[in-house]
Amino acid sequence: MRPGPLTDPAFPPTNAAPRQQYRLAHGKYWSIAREHAWMVVPPVAFLGVFLLLPLARVVFSSFAQPTWTLGNYAKVFDESFYLRSFWYTIEVAFCVTVVCLVIAYPLAYAIASSRGRSQKLMSVLVLLPLWTSVVIRSYAWLILFQRQGPVNSILLALGWIDEPLKILQTSTAVEIGMVHILLPFMILPLVSAMLKVDRTLLRAARVLGARPVKVFTRIYIRLTLPGITAGCALVFITSLGFFITPSLLGGAQQTMAAMMIEQAVSVFLNWPLASALSTVLLAMTVSLYLIYAKLTGGEMGMALK
Amino acid sequence: MSGRPIIASTQGFERDVTRWILRGYTVLAFTFLLLPIAIIVLMSFSNQRYMGFPPPGWTLHWYEAVREQPRWLTATINSFCIGIPTALLAIVFGTLAALGIARGDVRFRKFLLLLMMAPMMLPHVIIAIGLYPTLVDMRLQDSYIAVIIGHTVIGVPLVFITVTASLRSYPASLDLAARTLGAGTWQAFRRVTLPMIWVGIVSGGLLAFATSFDELMLALFLTSPGTETLPRLIWDQLSFALSPTLAAVATLILVLSVLLQGFAVYLGARRSALKRAQP
Repeated sequence: MRPGPLTDPAFPPTNAAPRQQYRLAHGKYWSIAREHAWMVVPPVAFLGVFLLLPLARVVFSSFAQPTWTLGNYAKVFDESFYLRSFWYTIEVAFCVTVVCLVIAYPLAYAIASSRGRSQKLMSVLVLLPLWTSVVIRSYAWLILFQRQGPVNSILLALGWIDEPLKILQTSTAVEIGMVHILLPFMILPLVSAMLKVDRTLLRAARVLGARPVKVFTRIYIRLTLPGITAGCALVFITSLGFFITPSLLGGAQQTMAAMMIEQAVSVFLNWPLASALSTVLLAMTVSLYLIYAKLTGGEMGMALK
Repeated sequence: MSGRPIIASTQGFERDVTRWILRGYTVLAFTFLLLPIAIIVLMSFSNQRYMGFPPPGWTLHWYEAVREQPRWLTATINSFCIGIPTALLAIVFGTLAALGIARGDVRFRKFLLLLMMAPMMLPHVIIAIGLYPTLVDMRLQDSYIAVIIGHTVIGVPLVFITVTASLRSYPASLDLAARTLGAGTWQAFRRVTLPMIWVGIVSGGLLAFATSFDELMLALFLTSPGTETLPRLIWDQLSFALSPTLAAVATLILVLSVLLQGFAVYLGARRSALKRAQP
């Protein structure tokens, strides 16, 4: 192709000074990309005013209220309740992520390797819970786990237990409820990674004599690694902010970070403390988010589609 | 393309066993996924106050109870009054952002991408804690506008994702061709870009609507008794008692969601059928 303004941003060649050359390359010609660039202004302004500024305000008031002080943070790091709650949040997020991955991987494999109608049906079934309210799904588990509830009656009827188990207000209940809600977020990126796997590679490995287990561990898992990363990051980061499920299914021992922040506002009316707690949670989330963005090369979240 | 499971494809008997294990596992996993929904629906028709299993008899009493309480209707109307403007605003901002970032010559592209996706990743409680004083300063705290703004913030990434995906499904040179052939910005968008990405826009908007319809945390902070949404009312009622009335409400919401989702899937299917029809 002949060099021209469309193919070569530095066309035409000039003897101009570097700065002028830059202007020529980037400013002289009309380009549809430059026109599109203006479109980011309204959304950026909106999120700037209603997301970034509020977040900055949270961080600011955690240091500046009631006066300039580190007292809010002293409270966060001194009182064992807050630290324990943060630690508990990380623990639950980790467990939930691992369990989700273990449950979702074979299921995603089944979806990715089925075809036609059954694949469509399974995708819809995965999406169906996603479209049911989180409040309602947690409420469903609340019913299921009651002392006289279906889970206990079935276990009793099967003779596996002698008296009703106390499931509610334990970490198990919280984790089961959260796994149920977050499972689709693990399945979707896994399926999309698995659909991209070039199956001839697997066949080649088999032909060359690899045992199925080896094909799986050496090739399949590695090829689906982007899906695993995306799914785990999404589930882990989302878990950190969970509020509804732990408040309904857990007890006082199962206070997660978001519940603690909500309590600081609605029960103790202590906004500065809530801001300090939020800042710690924000720092945790944002640093994980940045690591995730780095790992996926800026393509993050697009794997969701 | 995707034939039978390759990893499991050894010979004869062994292959059948692995396939059946996978199939059984799939059934189990889907049972786990769908069980809570099934329980809710069952309970809404059960004639017992507390869930025994299986329920001894069936009744429509709880649906009557929902109809008799005007608060449910008000909350539903509120949810629509908040969800629809939220979806529209999210569509405007999300689509603009997708066009600008995917097609535009923008600086700090990575940062912008992070910003657009951020509301999806950040805990809602932090957004709520920050937004509340901001909106109080603007004297918006008791109006619909407050919660619409809050929900639009979390709706933008959803539209951004779906529209970016549909922008990637066709070459940018089509837009350029329209512009070089004399179409203005608006005309090119209306006649070339929009027909290519409308499925992304609509499905993103539906997602934003569904998210707003389901969102609790921002609603707790940003709605007042006059503007309370369905999730907030359900939440308030939950702290009183576990009544099957809630299950009836939940079932009604489920039916609505399934209809909406069915519509989105139908749109997608029609779209891909159209694509297949054109060689």
